[in-house]
Amino acid sequence: MGYTAIEKVLSRTASRLGARAGEVVHPVPDLIMIHDGIVQSSKVMLDKIGIRRLSTPEKVMMVSDHDVLYGSAKAAERGSFNRKAAREWKVGHFFDAGEGGHGHIFPMEDGRVLPGMFYFDNDTHATNAGAVGAFGMRLGLEITSVLATGTTWIEIPQSIRIFLKGLLQPGVQARDIGFYLSRLIKSYALPINLDNRVVEFAGDLEQFGLGERVALCSSPTEMRAAGVFIPPSEKILMYCNSQAKTAFTPVYSDDDAEFESQHEIKISNLQPQIALPGGVGNSVDISEAVGTRVDHAFIGSCGSGMYEDLLTTASILKGRRVSPEVRLFIVPGSQRSMRKLVEEGLMQIFVEAGAMVLPPGCGPCNDAVVGPLASGESSISTATNSNTGRFGARDARLYLGSPLTVAASAVAGHIVDPRSFAADEALTHMKTSAYG
Amino acid sequence: MVDFHWNLRGTCYLLGDDVPHADGVIPQRFIIDRETDPDVLKRHLFELTDPGFASRCKPGDIIVAGRNFGVGQKSTGYIAMRALGLGVICESMPTQGYRGAIYAGLRVLAHCQGVTSMCSNGDDIEVNFSSGSFTNHTRGLTTNWRPMPQSLQDLVAKGGGEAWLSAWWAETTSSLDVPLSAKPEALP
Repeated sequence: MGYTAIEKVLSRTASRLGARAGEVVHPVPDLIMIHDGIVQSSKVMLDKIGIRRLSTPEKVMMVSDHDVLYGSAKAAERGSFNRKAAREWKVGHFFDAGEGGHGHIFPMEDGRVLPGMFYFDNDTHATNAGAVGAFGMRLGLEITSVLATGTTWIEIPQSIRIFLKGLLQPGVQARDIGFYLSRLIKSYALPINLDNRVVEFAGDLEQFGLGERVALCSSPTEMRAAGVFIPPSEKILMYCNSQAKTAFTPVYSDDDAEFESQHEIKISNLQPQIALPGGVGNSVDISEAVGTRVDHAFIGSCGSGMYEDLLTTASILKGRRVSPEVRLFIVPGSQRSMRKLVEEGLMQIFVEAGAMVLPPGCGPCNDAVVGPLASGESSISTATNSNTGRFGARDARLYLGSPLTVAASAVAGHIVDPRSFAADEALTHMKTSAYG
Repeated sequence: MVDFHWNLRGTCYLLGDDVPHADGVIPQRFIIDRETDPDVLKRHLFELTDPGFASRCKPGDIIVAGRNFGVGQKSTGYIAMRALGLGVICESMPTQGYRGAIYAGLRVLAHCQGVTSMCSNGDDIEVNFSSGSFTNHTRGLTTNWRPMPQSLQDLVAKGGGEAWLSAWWAETTSSLDVPLSAKPEALP
């Protein structure tokens, strides 16, 4: 019996040959990632115990993405604390506000998260690493133990394989697949429980570039998957090779690996999806939501913050204006994308359309530290989730859609099927070469 | 570890499936406030679903729950359970909740399919969390569950994540093998 990708990666890092799903192991990660919002809690705990050095500071990456703009005195104090912590801990890879960008995005773009890698992270959407065939796993504040000791326990997850069959139609995107999958799971049409499972995608994956692969990782994570794994294609490997900061060895599940279950989803007739307020599992075909008025729109987050997503947005906004009734925030995932926005003329398209471009990071998706909603307002966005109160006011109504749907809806002033908007062809074509 | 009791014997407190952590286990306000003080939390366990539970239960009592216990991925209530000396045995619980329970140092068995049909509320039950043995003295019934993984037992016996880390550091710094540079800096 062969092994799944996650079994192989955890066997290697835990030095446990032949480790299987269900076993508890202590992997030594290739990287330890900690985000700005949790550094203080972690350091206070270690200081209290008297631990003032990290086990492997050279492996630690500290990123500043959840609160980049410091919209409050408290946030500025936190930033100051984090800088001091990075110095005291001798953190190997510190990315201050304005550097790097979103921790679930720029390390893949920059060849720091590479195929076959395993890392621990405090934050849930470390699962994005699956877009290049790596694994990032969420620990919350337990990341503190890894900082101090270099490892912690993990029960090796079972893997569930989902075959995506067919080609997406124009106007339908990878985020729509995630919403649809969540809807199938929530309604028990697909009888699977993703808790502590790795979702491994298979099937017609060649159609997905790096940005679309990142988008595929988002919604399964909201449905509690411990990881998402997308076997890296030749094209993905070429891109990773061109950027790699370290050597890497891709992993793949064996043909005879044991999956908990395997399923097939036909995507060739998939319609754009809208996640109604409350969560990704509340998704419906867009026809059921068309016409819903919106006050606020946001394109970005770790689910839709890749350069391809920005090209998508520009392909709709070019030559159009955001509705005067809507404020649209665009949040690139990385400083690299921010530079390209300027170099390739997208910034001008956004500004002329009346959109607001925020610095790379989580943007409003981190509990609306920027760009919140007022009571009674509605939003459509590419945020990872739409839990009550995520964008401020608890009675605000939060809808989720693909970047195409959000861009088109921001122009229309209400939720609209993006297939009714002609997208700029040249910008759409640029997506194929966004990453290599 | 000699002082730690892996064996609990007490009254069964039976719950069904899908008990939510927020409001079902402990009032949501303590989760939102990120309260972690065991002395505060222990007075409010099951407060909204069963007022008076916290003063009625006794150390050694065991919560028996169905599938998806404490759903919602939070773990504030497990701090209260540990402070009250309770144990948990359930059919399943979300992984993040299970991690939180272990981190809180709670005696917990989370893969016990069918356990809710093996006892009734108020039964005299006994669980050894280290070996997995389970006895319902009221019904005269005994079985074995998958024990708590060996590598997590040390974590729980030392009192949970933070206490374990303190103990680890004390051992690390007292070991002669550790270079001086790794020791905490002397206070000025």
